[in-house]
Amino acid sequence: MKKLSLLLALLLLLAGVLPMTAQDMLPYPSDLTECEVDLTGETINIFHFGDLSGPYAFITQPIVSAVTDAVNYWNGRGGVCGAELAQVYEDTGGSREAAQSAYDRFTSTYGGELDLLLLYSSDDGELLREQLAEDEIVSYIAAGSIESLYGEDGQTPGWLYASNPLYINQFGFFCQFVAANSVAFPDPVIAFVTWPGAFGQAGTEPAAREYCGGLGVEVLPEPQIFLPTDTDILTQVQNAVDGGANILYTNSLATGPALLAGTLVDLGLENEIKLAGVNWVMDTSVGILGQRVLKPDGLPSVDGMFGSMPFLWWTELSHPAVQFVTQQFNANNRSPAEQNIAYLVSWGVADAIIETTIRTANAVGSLDGVTGAAIRETAEAMDYAVLGGLYQHSFEKGMRDGVLNRIAVLKYANTTMSGAATGPDDALLIDDGAGGKLFVPIVVPLSDFMEVPQLRG
Amino acid sequence: MTEFINRNKRQLTWTLYAVAAVLLLLFIGDQLAGLKAARVVQTLISGLLVGGVYGLVALGIVVINKASGVFNFAHGWMMVVGGMIFWSFFTVSEISLMGAGLLAAATMLMIMTTVSYRNLLERRNLAIALGGTAALTALMTVGGIEWRWLHALSGTFAGAILTGLAVERFTIRPLIGQPLFTAVLMTLAVAEVLHGVTQIAWGTVELNLPVFVDPQTNSRFRPIRLEAFDGLAIIRVELVIAFILAIVAFIGFILFFRYTSVGLAMRATSEDQQLAQSVGLRVRVILAITWAVAAFLASIAGVLQGGAVGLSLNISFVALRVFPAVLLGGLESITGALVGGIIIGIVEQFGTLINSSEQAGTNLAPYVVLMLVLVIRPDGLFGEKRIERI
Repeated sequence: MKKLSLLLALLLLLAGVLPMTAQDMLPYPSDLTECEVDLTGETINIFHFGDLSGPYAFITQPIVSAVTDAVNYWNGRGGVCGAELAQVYEDTGGSREAAQSAYDRFTSTYGGELDLLLLYSSDDGELLREQLAEDEIVSYIAAGSIESLYGEDGQTPGWLYASNPLYINQFGFFCQFVAANSVAFPDPVIAFVTWPGAFGQAGTEPAAREYCGGLGVEVLPEPQIFLPTDTDILTQVQNAVDGGANILYTNSLATGPALLAGTLVDLGLENEIKLAGVNWVMDTSVGILGQRVLKPDGLPSVDGMFGSMPFLWWTELSHPAVQFVTQQFNANNRSPAEQNIAYLVSWGVADAIIETTIRTANAVGSLDGVTGAAIRETAEAMDYAVLGGLYQHSFEKGMRDGVLNRIAVLKYANTTMSGAATGPDDALLIDDGAGGKLFVPIVVPLSDFMEVPQLRG
Repeated sequence: MTEFINRNKRQLTWTLYAVAAVLLLLFIGDQLAGLKAARVVQTLISGLLVGGVYGLVALGIVVINKASGVFNFAHGWMMVVGGMIFWSFFTVSEISLMGAGLLAAATMLMIMTTVSYRNLLERRNLAIALGGTAALTALMTVGGIEWRWLHALSGTFAGAILTGLAVERFTIRPLIGQPLFTAVLMTLAVAEVLHGVTQIAWGTVELNLPVFVDPQTNSRFRPIRLEAFDGLAIIRVELVIAFILAIVAFIGFILFFRYTSVGLAMRATSEDQQLAQSVGLRVRVILAITWAVAAFLASIAGVLQGGAVGLSLNISFVALRVFPAVLLGGLESITGALVGGIIIGIVEQFGTLINSSEQAGTNLAPYVVLMLVLVIRPDGLFGEKRIERI
């Protein structure tokens, strides 16, 4: 914990902005709609459930922290339009049965009050897609699968709205990036070395392969699958390399990208083969865990890994949204390990829920009059910069996933904190609190926000 | 025709199995034919080494089963707890004297009261408990960061013993004499409790456990590279260490069960707890020792796995992957745990080599092999054939 605190404190320094003091609280960064109704005495519940203790717990736990902090923030300022903000949540442990039970319990307990639900995973989205539509409940989710957002045919928009682009679209966007940078990526051949399941294998569909092929980027048809519990993935990586790949793409989290990068170093292929992945590979956890193996040039194995970054990142402290969330993070004494994607984006989701609720209440004249159908109408009409620009909430023309993305690269800070290190000699190293040294990971965006290709078929 | 089939049912069944096995071998041979020899060698090495880790995990499950007949579904979570305790001592520069003292005191309390809480009333036992507490505390806190291996090993030892004894005392012991199935279900409950405790104590974030780090380079030990068979074979040092530890543990337990009175008593207890108690064996003590040993084995496996890929709650699922190895080797066989682990490791790797896209290596191949072996030897490769006398 101590080393993470140090590291994250340095991240703040790196961006040139120190945390504000308690007396110097920043204004809320969003341009929220004015309340036209007085909701004093009422309660707006933020409903959410998902895997808080199972395989994905290490990325989902900060969701509760972020929503808690948002609730406290608003209640400390008189609530939303006078209404008290509260959260109702359950842990499903990643089990479909538990997710179904939670849904049944929520709907039977809260009935008509439950019009907007925050979900965490594609699997839960797929499970509840039809039920949400039947019960007319809108769901916000960070990232959803094609089936959860658009149905089995990929053409039927449902009641779930994802802030991140579909993973297949993120992959297509990466192919665009590769095609546009032929010097860095000569004769590109991509192989998926990825986790199994709806998340892990998103992007391996023929449509994505065809799209990338059209851009001159070959994608090997057979993905190489590994499990989060795998100790050794030499076989999978060698399969991909023998197949001709010079770029390995992964939809995995934390230890997944780190294991992949370490295996490339073991094989001595760290310079020949490039690594890339879905937005989760840019998470702080990858930057830390990737330091277990150093490349021959002395930098961590994940240095130079490319990834999607469809939202702002902690290091972009020049933006009011990131300044605000960072300040709240510090003010609430959150554990440094929680300074990840989930905490940042969940503040955004809470903001989107508040804005949706205000607009809907304004439209119908009261909180009681708010229905799922009305929420849905609002959600689709909104073109809203969440937290003033953390990401864009825009679901026009039947869209159910985010359309903007950018490519970033994971690097490590240099000693002057003015950019990325080129080797261990100019790398910023901090004491890890246990006799060792730690590199300070940074995420460097390589492009502006641009529209992703639509590949769901 | 029907009569012919009925008369030769056994032979026909075996013929079908033989044909299936030949077809399978032909298919595998065809798939491997186009590959470089180096790939096959690499896959064999990876399988062997990963199998060593599986063997170590399987050993903990088998030890419990051998002594108590209980299949321990909590083993994976005991791995996580052990790994996390190690991490707590290994990565902290200043260890809390009070925290270490409490851990040592709780461990000694559990040890000294294994037979009865009244034992503590005796001055001699009390002195041993206090002396043990002081010694353990000293081992966990002596010196600075340069002593972290000692801190971590002694802390993990104490934590594992405490976990094993606590599980036995509060969940398994009350079920002595009850149907075994009840105890098996209890281990499922224990797994959930350990899950919750781990989450509360250490959170859910992935932790870096730098045990396999070369102090010269501050990087994980460089793997051994072998130029052979017109290619390169990589041998990861941490997996070699795990493999060696598995072999050492295997030899130790073989000797323990065969030549020590406690080991023999454990075997007797597993046959019939009530009968063992009636002939004067201290079933409580034997079960307590078994659980403590299994928890320590689980901790070692947790540290090795955590050191190799990082510490997270996902480590618990490694135990699930080991279940086919345990069944394949035989539920009560120490040799079977190691051999089963290695076979499953190799089968997984070759399955992945042949077909990684459909997860043939992890989802299909181990179970096909398990099925084939169980058809031929229902008690596993080294399992004891049980004869029920009426």
